[in-house]
Amino acid sequence: MLVYKTALRGAMLALILSCMAGTAVGQWLSLPLPGTPRNADGKPNLSAPTPRTADGKPDLTGLWHAENMRYNANLLPAGTQAPMLPWAADLYKHRVDTQGYDRPMTRCMPHGVPDAMTVAPLPFKVLQTPNVTVVLFEEFNKYRQIHTDGRQLPVDPDPAWYGYSVGRWEGDTFVVETAGFKEGTWLDDSGHPHTDALRTTERFRRINFGRMDLDVTIDDPKAYSRPWTSDTIHFLLQPDTELLEHLCENNRDIEHLENFWKGQQQAAPSTTGKQ
Amino acid sequence: MVLFVVAIAAFERAAAHHSFTAEFDANQPLKLTGSVTKVEWTNPHVWFFMDVKSQDGSVTNWGFEMASTSQLLRAGWKRDSMKIGDIVTVDARRARDGTDHANAQNVTLANTGQRLFAGSPTQ
Repeated sequence: MLVYKTALRGAMLALILSCMAGTAVGQWLSLPLPGTPRNADGKPNLSAPTPRTADGKPDLTGLWHAENMRYNANLLPAGTQAPMLPWAADLYKHRVDTQGYDRPMTRCMPHGVPDAMTVAPLPFKVLQTPNVTVVLFEEFNKYRQIHTDGRQLPVDPDPAWYGYSVGRWEGDTFVVETAGFKEGTWLDDSGHPHTDALRTTERFRRINFGRMDLDVTIDDPKAYSRPWTSDTIHFLLQPDTELLEHLCENNRDIEHLENFWKGQQQAAPSTTGKQ
Repeated sequence: MVLFVVAIAAFERAAAHHSFTAEFDANQPLKLTGSVTKVEWTNPHVWFFMDVKSQDGSVTNWGFEMASTSQLLRAGWKRDSMKIGDIVTVDARRARDGTDHANAQNVTLANTGQRLFAGSPTQ
Protein backbone atom coordinates (compact mmCIF):
# COMPACT_ATOMS: atom_id res chain seq x y z
CA MET A 1 0.00 0.00 0.00
CA LEU A 2 2.81 2.32 0.96
CA VAL A 3 4.62 1.43 -2.23
CA TYR A 4 1.47 2.13 -4.21
CA LYS A 5 1.03 5.54 -2.56
CA THR A 6 4.66 6.44 -3.13
CA ALA A 7 4.36 5.41 -6.77
CA LEU A 8 1.19 7.44 -7.11
CA ARG A 9 2.88 10.48 -5.59
CA GLY A 10 5.81 10.01 -7.92
CA ALA A 11 3.46 9.82 -10.89
CA MET A 12 1.62 12.95 -9.74
CA LEU A 13 4.87 14.83 -9.30
CA ALA A 14 5.99 13.78 -12.75
CA LEU A 15 2.65 14.92 -14.16
CA ILE A 16 2.89 18.29 -12.42
CA LEU A 17 6.47 18.77 -13.54
CA SER A 18 5.63 17.82 -17.12
CA CYS A 19 2.70 20.24 -17.12
CA MET A 20 5.00 22.94 -15.84
CA ALA A 21 7.64 22.16 -18.41
CA GLY A 22 5.02 22.36 -21.13
CA THR A 23 3.96 25.85 -20.16
CA ALA A 24 7.26 27.28 -19.01
CA VAL A 25 8.23 30.31 -21.01
CA GLY A 26 10.77 33.04 -20.51
CA GLN A 27 8.30 35.17 -18.60
CA TRP A 28 6.84 33.98 -15.29
CA LEU A 29 3.47 33.53 -16.91
CA SER A 30 2.99 30.05 -15.58
CA LEU A 31 4.81 28.62 -12.61
CA PRO A 32 3.75 26.61 -9.57
CA LEU A 33 3.53 28.96 -6.61
CA PRO A 34 4.24 27.48 -3.17
CA GLY A 35 1.39 27.50 -0.68
CA THR A 36 -1.18 26.71 -3.37
CA PRO A 37 -3.52 23.82 -2.45
CA ARG A 38 -3.79 21.40 -5.36
CA ASN A 39 -6.19 18.79 -6.67
CA ALA A 40 -5.04 15.28 -7.54
CA ASP A 41 -4.32 16.44 -11.09
CA GLY A 42 -1.93 19.11 -9.81
CA LYS A 43 -4.20 22.03 -10.66
CA PRO A 44 -4.81 24.70 -8.00
CA ASN A 45 -7.77 23.89 -5.78
CA LEU A 46 -9.53 27.23 -5.85
CA SER A 47 -12.35 26.10 -3.58
CA ALA A 48 -9.96 25.05 -0.79
CA PRO A 49 -10.52 26.78 2.56
CA THR A 50 -9.36 30.34 3.17
CA PRO A 51 -5.67 30.30 4.13
CA ARG A 52 -4.83 31.80 7.51
CA THR A 53 -1.83 33.52 9.03
CA ALA A 54 -0.04 32.32 12.16
CA ASP A 55 -2.36 34.42 14.35
CA GLY A 56 -5.43 32.79 12.82
CA LYS A 57 -6.56 35.73 10.66
CA PRO A 58 -7.53 35.12 7.05
CA ASP A 59 -4.58 35.68 4.75
CA LEU A 60 -5.53 37.86 1.77
CA THR A 61 -2.15 37.34 0.11
CA GLY A 62 -2.40 36.45 -3.55
CA LEU A 63 -2.78 37.71 -7.10
CA TRP A 64 -6.36 38.88 -7.69
CA HIS A 65 -8.53 40.32 -10.43
CA ALA A 66 -12.11 41.53 -10.54
CA GLU A 67 -14.37 38.88 -12.07
CA ASN A 68 -15.50 41.29 -14.79
CA MET A 69 -15.46 44.97 -15.74
CA ARG A 70 -18.93 45.68 -14.37
CA TYR A 71 -17.68 47.33 -11.14
CA ASN A 72 -15.14 49.37 -12.99
CA ALA A 73 -17.84 50.67 -15.30
CA ASN A 74 -20.10 51.59 -12.39
CA LEU A 75 -19.47 51.00 -8.70
CA LEU A 76 -23.13 51.05 -7.70
CA PRO A 77 -25.52 48.12 -7.44
CA ALA A 78 -27.43 47.74 -10.72
CA GLY A 79 -30.46 49.99 -10.99
CA THR A 80 -29.39 52.35 -8.21
CA GLN A 81 -28.02 55.88 -8.27
CA ALA A 82 -25.53 57.65 -6.05
CA PRO A 83 -27.00 60.49 -3.92
CA MET A 84 -24.98 63.17 -5.71
CA LEU A 85 -25.15 66.85 -4.79
CA PRO A 86 -26.17 69.02 -7.78
CA TRP A 87 -22.63 70.03 -8.82
CA ALA A 88 -21.50 66.40 -8.64
CA ALA A 89 -24.51 65.28 -10.68
CA ASP A 90 -23.69 67.91 -13.34
CA LEU A 91 -20.08 66.82 -13.51
CA TYR A 92 -21.05 63.14 -13.63
CA LYS A 93 -23.51 63.79 -16.46
CA HIS A 94 -20.82 65.61 -18.43
CA ARG A 95 -18.40 62.72 -17.97
CA VAL A 96 -21.02 60.23 -19.17
CA ASP A 97 -22.13 62.43 -22.10
CA THR A 98 -18.54 62.91 -23.31
CA GLN A 99 -17.65 59.25 -22.83
CA GLY A 100 -15.08 60.01 -20.20
CA TYR A 101 -13.85 63.54 -20.80
CA ASP A 102 -10.30 63.81 -19.43
CA ARG A 103 -10.47 60.56 -17.49
CA PRO A 104 -7.18 60.29 -15.53
CA MET A 105 -6.09 57.11 -17.32
CA THR A 106 -6.20 59.00 -20.58
CA ARG A 107 -3.07 60.79 -19.37
CA CYS A 108 -1.64 57.62 -17.85
CA MET A 109 -2.63 58.52 -14.31
CA PRO A 110 -3.84 55.38 -12.56
CA HIS A 111 -7.21 54.41 -11.19
CA GLY A 112 -7.59 55.15 -7.47
CA VAL A 113 -9.50 53.86 -4.45
CA PRO A 114 -11.34 51.64 -4.99
CA ASP A 115 -11.29 51.34 -8.77
CA ALA A 116 -7.61 50.41 -9.18
CA MET A 117 -8.79 46.98 -8.00
CA THR A 118 -11.64 46.74 -10.51
CA VAL A 119 -9.62 46.89 -13.74
CA ALA A 120 -10.31 43.23 -14.46
CA PRO A 121 -7.59 42.39 -17.02
CA LEU A 122 -4.79 43.97 -14.98
CA PRO A 123 -4.46 42.05 -11.70
CA PHE A 124 -3.25 43.27 -8.32
CA LYS A 125 -1.15 41.46 -5.76
CA VAL A 126 -1.89 41.54 -2.03
CA LEU A 127 1.01 40.91 0.36
CA GLN A 128 -0.25 40.64 3.92
CA THR A 129 2.28 41.02 6.76
CA PRO A 130 1.61 41.64 10.47
CA ASN A 131 2.15 45.40 10.35
CA VAL A 132 1.28 46.36 6.81
CA THR A 133 -0.66 44.96 3.87
CA VAL A 134 0.75 46.05 0.54
CA VAL A 135 -1.26 46.12 -2.66
CA LEU A 136 0.73 46.09 -5.88
CA PHE A 137 -1.23 47.12 -8.96
CA GLU A 138 -0.15 45.81 -12.33
CA GLU A 139 -1.71 48.87 -13.97
CA PHE A 140 1.12 51.40 -14.35
CA ASN A 141 3.20 49.57 -11.68
CA LYS A 142 1.63 51.38 -8.72
CA TYR A 143 1.26 50.38 -5.07
CA ARG A 144 -0.78 51.12 -1.98
CA GLN A 145 -0.03 50.45 1.72
CA ILE A 146 -2.59 49.58 4.42
CA HIS A 147 -1.03 49.95 7.86
CA THR A 148 -2.07 47.52 10.60
CA ASP A 149 0.42 48.48 13.32
CA GLY A 150 -2.16 50.39 15.34
CA ARG A 151 -1.41 53.87 14.00
CA GLN A 152 -4.24 56.34 13.49
CA LEU A 153 -5.08 58.10 10.24
CA PRO A 154 -2.94 61.25 9.91
CA VAL A 155 -4.41 64.65 10.76
CA ASP A 156 -4.29 67.15 7.88
CA PRO A 157 -2.01 65.07 5.64
CA ASP A 158 -0.68 66.18 2.30
CA PRO A 159 -3.47 65.01 -0.02
CA ALA A 160 -2.54 61.83 -1.89
CA TRP A 161 -3.86 59.99 -4.95
CA TYR A 162 -4.55 56.78 -2.93
CA GLY A 163 -5.04 58.59 0.39
CA TYR A 164 -3.76 57.12 3.68
CA SER A 165 -5.01 53.72 4.82
CA VAL A 166 -5.20 51.85 8.12
CA GLY A 167 -6.68 48.38 8.53
CA ARG A 168 -8.13 46.27 11.32
CA TRP A 169 -9.88 42.92 11.65
CA GLU A 170 -13.53 42.58 12.57
CA GLY A 171 -13.86 38.81 12.86
CA ASP A 172 -12.83 37.48 9.45
CA THR A 173 -13.41 40.83 7.70
CA PHE A 174 -10.46 43.11 6.94
CA VAL A 175 -11.75 46.66 7.37
CA VAL A 176 -9.73 49.43 5.72
CA GLU A 177 -10.34 53.11 6.45
CA THR A 178 -8.82 55.62 4.04
CA ALA A 179 -8.76 59.43 4.09
CA GLY A 180 -6.50 62.25 2.91
CA PHE A 181 -7.40 61.94 -0.75
CA LYS A 182 -6.38 64.29 -3.51
CA GLU A 183 -9.20 65.28 -5.84
CA GLY A 184 -8.01 63.54 -8.94
CA THR A 185 -9.30 60.04 -9.15
CA TRP A 186 -12.74 58.97 -10.29
CA LEU A 187 -14.54 56.37 -8.19
CA ASP A 188 -15.30 54.41 -11.34
CA ASP A 189 -14.94 54.76 -15.09
CA SER A 190 -18.41 56.20 -15.55
CA GLY A 191 -17.09 59.14 -13.54
CA HIS A 192 -18.55 59.30 -10.03
CA PRO A 193 -16.55 62.19 -8.56
CA HIS A 194 -15.15 62.81 -5.11
CA THR A 195 -13.56 65.68 -3.21
CA ASP A 196 -10.78 65.89 -0.63
CA ALA A 197 -13.44 65.18 2.03
CA LEU A 198 -13.75 61.58 0.84
CA ARG A 199 -13.41 58.78 3.37
CA THR A 200 -13.70 55.21 2.20
CA THR A 201 -14.35 52.09 4.25
CA GLU A 202 -13.45 48.87 2.46
CA ARG A 203 -14.55 45.49 3.82
CA PHE A 204 -12.58 42.55 2.41
CA ARG A 205 -13.66 38.95 2.96
CA ARG A 206 -11.70 36.03 1.56
CA ILE A 207 -14.43 33.47 0.89
CA ASN A 208 -12.09 30.58 0.10
CA PHE A 209 -8.73 30.08 -1.57
CA GLY A 210 -9.98 31.33 -4.93
CA ARG A 211 -12.49 34.08 -4.08
CA MET A 212 -12.52 37.39 -2.24
CA ASP A 213 -15.37 39.90 -1.87
CA LEU A 214 -15.28 43.62 -1.16
CA ASP A 215 -17.87 46.22 -0.22
CA VAL A 216 -16.81 49.86 -0.27
CA THR A 217 -18.64 52.66 1.53
CA ILE A 218 -18.19 56.13 0.09
CA ASP A 219 -18.56 59.00 2.55
CA ASP A 220 -17.96 62.40 0.97
CA PRO A 221 -20.31 65.08 2.33
CA LYS A 222 -18.99 67.63 -0.19
CA ALA A 223 -20.13 65.48 -3.13
CA TYR A 224 -22.91 63.22 -1.80
CA SER A 225 -25.88 63.90 0.46
CA ARG A 226 -25.27 60.69 2.46
CA PRO A 227 -22.79 57.80 2.56
CA TRP A 228 -23.45 55.01 0.07
CA THR A 229 -22.11 51.52 -0.46
CA SER A 230 -20.89 49.88 -3.66
CA ASP A 231 -22.19 46.70 -5.15
CA THR A 232 -20.36 43.70 -3.69
CA ILE A 233 -17.22 43.37 -5.82
CA HIS A 234 -16.13 39.81 -6.55
CA PHE A 235 -12.45 39.03 -7.04
CA LEU A 236 -10.99 35.79 -8.39
CA LEU A 237 -7.55 34.47 -7.55
CA GLN A 238 -5.22 34.26 -10.55
CA PRO A 239 -3.17 31.20 -9.57
CA ASP A 240 0.34 30.16 -10.55
CA THR A 241 1.25 33.36 -12.36
CA GLU A 242 2.88 36.71 -11.68
CA LEU A 243 2.40 40.43 -12.16
CA LEU A 244 3.86 41.71 -15.41
CA GLU A 245 5.30 45.15 -16.06
CA HIS A 246 2.87 47.78 -17.29
CA LEU A 247 4.48 51.19 -17.55
CA CYS A 248 2.96 53.88 -19.71
CA GLU A 249 5.70 54.35 -22.27
CA ASN A 250 3.75 54.75 -25.49
CA ASN A 251 0.48 56.64 -25.07
CA ARG A 252 -0.66 57.07 -28.66
CA ASP A 253 -4.32 57.52 -27.71
CA ILE A 254 -4.20 60.95 -26.18
CA GLU A 255 -3.96 62.83 -29.50
CA HIS A 256 -7.07 61.12 -30.88
CA LEU A 257 -9.00 61.55 -27.64
CA GLU A 258 -8.19 65.25 -27.50
CA ASN A 259 -9.54 65.56 -31.04
CA PHE A 260 -12.74 63.82 -29.99
CA TRP A 261 -13.14 66.02 -26.89
CA LYS A 262 -12.36 69.32 -28.60
CA GLY A 263 -14.95 71.89 -27.54
CA GLN A 264 -16.53 69.57 -24.99
CA GLN A 265 -14.95 71.10 -21.88
CA GLN A 266 -17.28 71.72 -18.98
CA ALA A 267 -17.49 75.02 -17.15
CA ALA A 268 -15.85 74.67 -13.73
CA PRO A 269 -18.31 73.08 -11.31
CA SER A 270 -19.09 74.79 -8.03
CA THR A 271 -16.75 72.79 -5.87
CA THR A 272 -13.67 73.94 -4.07
CA GLY A 273 -11.31 71.51 -5.66
CA LYS A 274 -9.72 70.80 -8.98
CA GLN A 275 -11.70 68.48 -11.22
CA MET B 1 -6.24 26.11 -31.53
CA VAL B 2 -5.35 26.09 -27.86
CA LEU B 3 -4.20 29.66 -28.17
CA PHE B 4 -7.50 30.65 -29.72
CA VAL B 5 -9.51 29.08 -26.90
CA VAL B 6 -7.41 30.83 -24.29
CA ALA B 7 -7.82 34.05 -26.19
CA ILE B 8 -11.59 33.87 -26.25
CA ALA B 9 -11.67 33.16 -22.52
CA ALA B 10 -9.74 36.36 -22.01
CA PHE B 11 -12.16 38.43 -24.07
CA GLU B 12 -14.40 39.67 -21.31
CA ARG B 13 -11.44 40.70 -19.25
CA ALA B 14 -10.05 42.92 -21.94
CA ALA B 15 -10.09 46.61 -21.23
CA ALA B 16 -8.37 49.82 -22.13
CA HIS B 17 -6.50 52.37 -20.13
CA HIS B 18 -8.79 54.90 -21.78
CA SER B 19 -12.35 55.22 -22.96
CA PHE B 20 -12.78 52.87 -25.91
CA THR B 21 -15.98 54.48 -27.11
CA ALA B 22 -14.44 57.96 -27.17
CA GLU B 23 -11.73 56.81 -29.57
CA PHE B 24 -13.16 53.93 -31.59
CA ASP B 25 -16.52 53.21 -33.16
CA ALA B 26 -17.92 49.73 -32.54
CA ASN B 27 -20.26 50.34 -35.49
CA GLN B 28 -17.37 50.66 -37.95
CA PRO B 29 -15.97 47.13 -38.23
CA LEU B 30 -13.03 46.64 -40.58
CA LYS B 31 -11.37 43.58 -42.01
CA LEU B 32 -8.04 44.39 -43.61
CA THR B 33 -5.13 42.35 -44.92
CA GLY B 34 -1.66 43.77 -45.30
CA SER B 35 2.04 43.52 -44.69
CA VAL B 36 3.39 44.40 -41.24
CA THR B 37 5.74 47.40 -41.29
CA LYS B 38 6.28 48.06 -37.58
CA VAL B 39 5.47 46.47 -34.21
CA GLU B 40 5.58 48.49 -30.99
CA TRP B 41 5.59 45.93 -28.16
CA THR B 42 4.82 48.58 -25.53
CA ASN B 43 2.39 49.68 -22.82
CA PRO B 44 -0.23 50.80 -22.12
CA HIS B 45 -1.01 49.36 -25.55
CA VAL B 46 0.78 47.31 -28.15
CA TRP B 47 0.58 48.90 -31.60
CA PHE B 48 1.41 47.56 -35.00
CA PHE B 49 1.34 49.08 -38.47
CA MET B 50 0.80 47.52 -41.85
CA ASP B 51 0.63 48.52 -45.49
CA VAL B 52 -2.74 47.84 -47.07
CA LYS B 53 -3.10 47.89 -50.85
CA SER B 54 -6.35 49.20 -52.24
CA GLN B 55 -7.94 48.08 -55.51
CA ASP B 56 -6.46 51.03 -57.40
CA GLY B 57 -2.98 49.98 -56.28
CA SER B 58 -2.41 52.76 -53.78
CA VAL B 59 -0.94 51.79 -50.43
CA THR B 60 -2.09 53.07 -47.03
CA ASN B 61 -0.21 52.49 -43.81
CA TRP B 62 -2.70 51.59 -41.06
CA GLY B 63 -2.05 51.59 -37.32
CA PHE B 64 -3.74 49.13 -34.96
CA GLU B 65 -4.07 49.34 -31.21
CA MET B 66 -4.12 46.15 -29.19
CA ALA B 67 -4.20 45.49 -25.43
CA SER B 68 -1.25 45.74 -23.02
CA THR B 69 1.77 43.48 -23.36
CA SER B 70 0.64 41.62 -20.22
CA GLN B 71 -2.83 40.99 -21.64
CA LEU B 72 -1.41 39.76 -24.95
CA LEU B 73 1.12 37.49 -23.21
CA ARG B 74 -1.71 35.97 -21.17
CA ALA B 75 -3.73 35.51 -24.36
CA GLY B 76 -0.95 33.49 -25.95
CA TRP B 77 1.13 36.10 -27.77
CA LYS B 78 4.88 36.40 -27.68
CA ARG B 79 6.70 39.61 -28.45
CA ASP B 80 7.84 38.11 -31.75
CA SER B 81 4.55 36.46 -32.75
CA MET B 82 4.22 39.06 -35.50
CA LYS B 83 7.25 40.14 -37.50
CA ILE B 84 7.92 42.87 -40.02
CA GLY B 85 6.93 41.61 -43.45
CA ASP B 86 4.35 39.13 -42.12
CA ILE B 87 1.06 39.10 -43.98
CA VAL B 88 -1.78 39.39 -41.49
CA THR B 89 -5.54 39.84 -41.55
CA VAL B 90 -7.04 42.04 -38.87
CA ASP B 91 -10.59 42.32 -37.55
CA ALA B 92 -10.79 45.82 -36.13
CA ARG B 93 -12.97 48.78 -35.28
CA ARG B 94 -12.12 52.09 -36.87
CA ALA B 95 -11.19 55.30 -35.06
CA ARG B 96 -13.92 57.88 -34.76
CA ASP B 97 -11.70 60.67 -36.06
CA GLY B 98 -11.47 59.03 -39.49
CA THR B 99 -7.69 58.60 -39.40
CA ASP B 100 -6.14 55.37 -40.61
CA HIS B 101 -6.00 53.67 -37.28
CA ALA B 102 -8.23 51.17 -35.55
CA ASN B 103 -8.62 48.90 -32.59
CA ALA B 104 -7.69 45.32 -33.44
CA GLN B 105 -9.95 42.49 -32.25
CA ASN B 106 -8.26 39.47 -33.79
CA VAL B 107 -5.16 39.00 -35.85
CA THR B 108 -4.68 36.04 -38.18
CA LEU B 109 -1.14 35.26 -39.30
CA ALA B 110 -1.18 34.17 -42.96
CA ASN B 111 1.93 31.96 -42.84
CA THR B 112 0.72 29.79 -39.96
CA GLY B 113 -3.03 30.38 -40.00
CA GLN B 114 -2.76 31.13 -36.31
CA ARG B 115 -5.50 33.45 -35.08
CA LEU B 116 -4.71 35.51 -32.03
CA PHE B 117 -7.02 37.57 -29.92
CA ALA B 118 -5.78 41.13 -29.73
CA GLY B 119 -7.16 41.85 -26.29
CA SER B 120 -9.13 44.75 -27.58
CA PRO B 121 -10.55 47.26 -25.19
CA THR B 122 -14.28 46.84 -24.75
CA GLN B 123 -15.21 50.16 -23.20
